[in-house]
Amino acid sequence: MDEQDLISRSKSGDVEAFNLLVEQYQRMVYNLALRMLGNAEAAEDACQDTFLSAYKAIGKFRGGSFKSWVLRIAANSCHDKLRVARRYRVVSLDTLLLEPDELHQANNNESPEDYALRRELGRFLSEGLTHLPEDQRLVVILSDVQGLSYEEVAQATGSSLGTVKSRLNRGRTRLRDFLLQREELLPSKFRLNK
Amino acid sequence: MFRGKGEPLCCKVRGMLSEYIDSRLDSENKSLVERHLEICEACSKELESLRMTVQLLHRVAEVPAPRSFTVTVPEPRRESAFGPASMRWLRPATAIVAIALVVLLMGDFLHGFENNVRSNSGPGNVTLSAGQLAPSSAATEQQIMVAVPGVMGQMSLATAKAVGYTDYTMVRSSAVSQPAASPIPSVLGNEGPTGAQVIVRGEGGVGWPLRQTEIGLGAAVFVLLGLMIYARRQRRKKVGAR
Repeated sequence: MDEQDLISRSKSGDVEAFNLLVEQYQRMVYNLALRMLGNAEAAEDACQDTFLSAYKAIGKFRGGSFKSWVLRIAANSCHDKLRVARRYRVVSLDTLLLEPDELHQANNNESPEDYALRRELGRFLSEGLTHLPEDQRLVVILSDVQGLSYEEVAQATGSSLGTVKSRLNRGRTRLRDFLLQREELLPSKFRLNK
Repeated sequence: MFRGKGEPLCCKVRGMLSEYIDSRLDSENKSLVERHLEICEACSKELESLRMTVQLLHRVAEVPAPRSFTVTVPEPRRESAFGPASMRWLRPATAIVAIALVVLLMGDFLHGFENNVRSNSGPGNVTLSAGQLAPSSAATEQQIMVAVPGVMGQMSLATAKAVGYTDYTMVRSSAVSQPAASPIPSVLGNEGPTGAQVIVRGEGGVGWPLRQTEIGLGAAVFVLLGLMIYARRQRRKKVGAR
């Protein structure tokens, strides 16, 4: 069924139609929350809050990209969770997992050492992301991890295109600096300043 | 992180490197960046490290959602007899009954109903003639306390007579010879120009409907308070179970 049909049926109170939209976007929202919060449990809560808020507010959706609209609600849920986590000093990081590189993907012959290195790199990256200010982290995740265009990121964050570009540049630079400071801990093949 | 020699141009180019990586620069800026990168090693390294960072971010694996986040709309629950709606009428009802009881008790206490009592000639009323009173000496009249309608407080019978009141209620006296069968909670007096005439009212008389009303209202307040407490507990149980 067409997304627009699902949206208009959801607006008239059809929960089944709304749940089809949820199934379509839950993976994306969960991944955003997981990378923003660095914790699987908190990400689940944020994800559930996102879709409940979206269901309540679907009547106010005035068209445009539904994906950006849902991501914006998800970003707000993540901000709320981070605010609470800061208040109670709850810091728990779940490591991000990186995909195997092209060579290993093609041959399907990743050694246990390579897998361990990949996990280690994921841990650094995860830590580096949590060191970014929230606004930069959100833009970096949406653009570089989720693969959204600049325009979609601008819609999802409610910012101008210029702000998105600036935050993305600063976020990437900051993350790069974080990784460079721990370069000796990175495996040689992943070192940035070879 | 990487310092170039031509600082102002390096700063400008580094500000555009992110867009350059994403191929978002217009042709003019793109050629500016490329010309600069050919001559500036520091900015080239900067570009390379940024590109590596972005590539690492692109490799972050997407994880499946651990469960379904579909929304369920709860079915409207049936309202129990002690739900929030019942609380809506229990509170004002209790308040109204309690206020009525307080007003009655206050009125009773201040003898606000005695005028009504006088007109009632119930079976408990006993009329005493002037002769049944103790000898009307000045000392006895000082001992007999009477209440005069429309006047606050009590006064002695002697004072009431001296002022000229002819309509009064005897409140307490050791000079009245009381009939053994009828206890005298209150005594209504009416003295004409020829002498004293006292109406003695017993418990079974005109005060009884008032007492019944007071007892009834008191019981109603207790019952309503009990219902309120029960309803509140029921609600707490439901909230805890949710």
